[in-house]
Amino acid sequence: MRIVNPTFGLAAAGGPKVDLKPVNWATDAIALVSNSKPNARELLAGIREKLGAFRPIDNIEFLAKNSASQPAPKDVIEKVAANFRGALLAIAD
Amino acid sequence: MKDIADQEVIDIGDMDVEAFNELAVEQGWSDGMPLYLPTEEKVARFVETVRGDNRPYAPVPPRQIVPTVQSVAANAVMAGCKPEYFPVVTAALRGVLDPEYNLHGSLATTHSCAPMVMVSGPIRHKLGINCGSNCFGQGWRANATIGRALGLMLLNIAGAKPGEMDRSTQGNPAKFTFCFGENEEENPWAPYHVQRGFAPTDSVVTVMSGEGPHNLNDHGSTTGDGLLTTFAGSMSTPGANTVYGKGPMFVIIGPEHAATLRRDGFTIETIREELFRRSRIHASRISAENQDTYISTGHKPDGDWFTIGRSAQDIHIAVAGGPGKHSAFIPSFGGTTVACVRINP
Repeated sequence: MRIVNPTFGLAAAGGPKVDLKPVNWATDAIALVSNSKPNARELLAGIREKLGAFRPIDNIEFLAKNSASQPAPKDVIEKVAANFRGALLAIAD
Repeated sequence: MKDIADQEVIDIGDMDVEAFNELAVEQGWSDGMPLYLPTEEKVARFVETVRGDNRPYAPVPPRQIVPTVQSVAANAVMAGCKPEYFPVVTAALRGVLDPEYNLHGSLATTHSCAPMVMVSGPIRHKLGINCGSNCFGQGWRANATIGRALGLMLLNIAGAKPGEMDRSTQGNPAKFTFCFGENEEENPWAPYHVQRGFAPTDSVVTVMSGEGPHNLNDHGSTTGDGLLTTFAGSMSTPGANTVYGKGPMFVIIGPEHAATLRRDGFTIETIREELFRRSRIHASRISAENQDTYISTGHKPDGDWFTIGRSAQDIHIAVAGGPGKHSAFIPSFGGTTVACVRINP
């Protein structure tokens, strides 16, 4: 018996492949990106403080989506890509 | 059986329906209830009903694959649809693919939202879609299977597997199925699809990422003003996503309540305005922490009152159900829209 696969689909055409450079988490600029859920900023602030125990934190900055339920806007993504080598994201609740 | 994800047609050998259901569970294709076998022959009968509709589907998030009409139909077959339901199912899929619907967010959220599917126009009667008593409930194949088909598509095509990509904290029974018809015959105003600019003779699917229906019981009020007081009091709930997420919501008015409101001169517009004005939530009912969150995300109160949406336009009105003094409030996920798609005949 032959059935049709209910999960079948074709891969959507993606953008150009980007080669990622390695991140030095001990020194590189890092973005802490909040999903704008309640208390996300506080959690990220705690992470930044803990990172301060073993690396400089003056190049660790906070960014945020403007809505918890919407994708990150293009300008935020571009800002992360242009200014930081790594990002830590607050996700879920 | 491994590595079958990239095969459109799968030979499952000599397998009965029980064995197929075991396979479906193993593969993660099941919503937990028995499925029909999506044989090539059955799928072809469904595909035939949308012949001529050559618009490609957009990539379906979060998985970002472009389904074929065959794989879409396979889910409708598994759900138990009749072939003639398939144009409604494909219209509903196109509705949730409206970018403003925010399918990725509504599937990945911890909120309990599920796609509400409302059918308007002549096709309701042609397909036997229940618009009257128990319209949100069981007992009608079209209602049950059209909603279920969309749910299976979101599982299998979108990839919203519970606990993995679907991160809902508690879920919602509407994730199994939530489809009903408008009771246009007992609607004293314009049907919803006509409010949205479609012709009365069009058949239209409306989708919104919503919670299940919250009952609005009012046996005592004998005036439209009294009913709106009850509706608004029940809608002003601090736990709804729409309070801080802002976004659309439906009030599905039962025919008896609708008749009373119409008798007392209320229109769709005045109902929306009154509900928006009266359903505000006093700050004393919202924790200080949540008030800070709302304000910091741009949802400032009007004096001591927080609104349940951005404006009266966020409150959508339709009529459905049968005899009785009940209506329903269906708040949305928040960051979504109410999408309408005309069903191709």
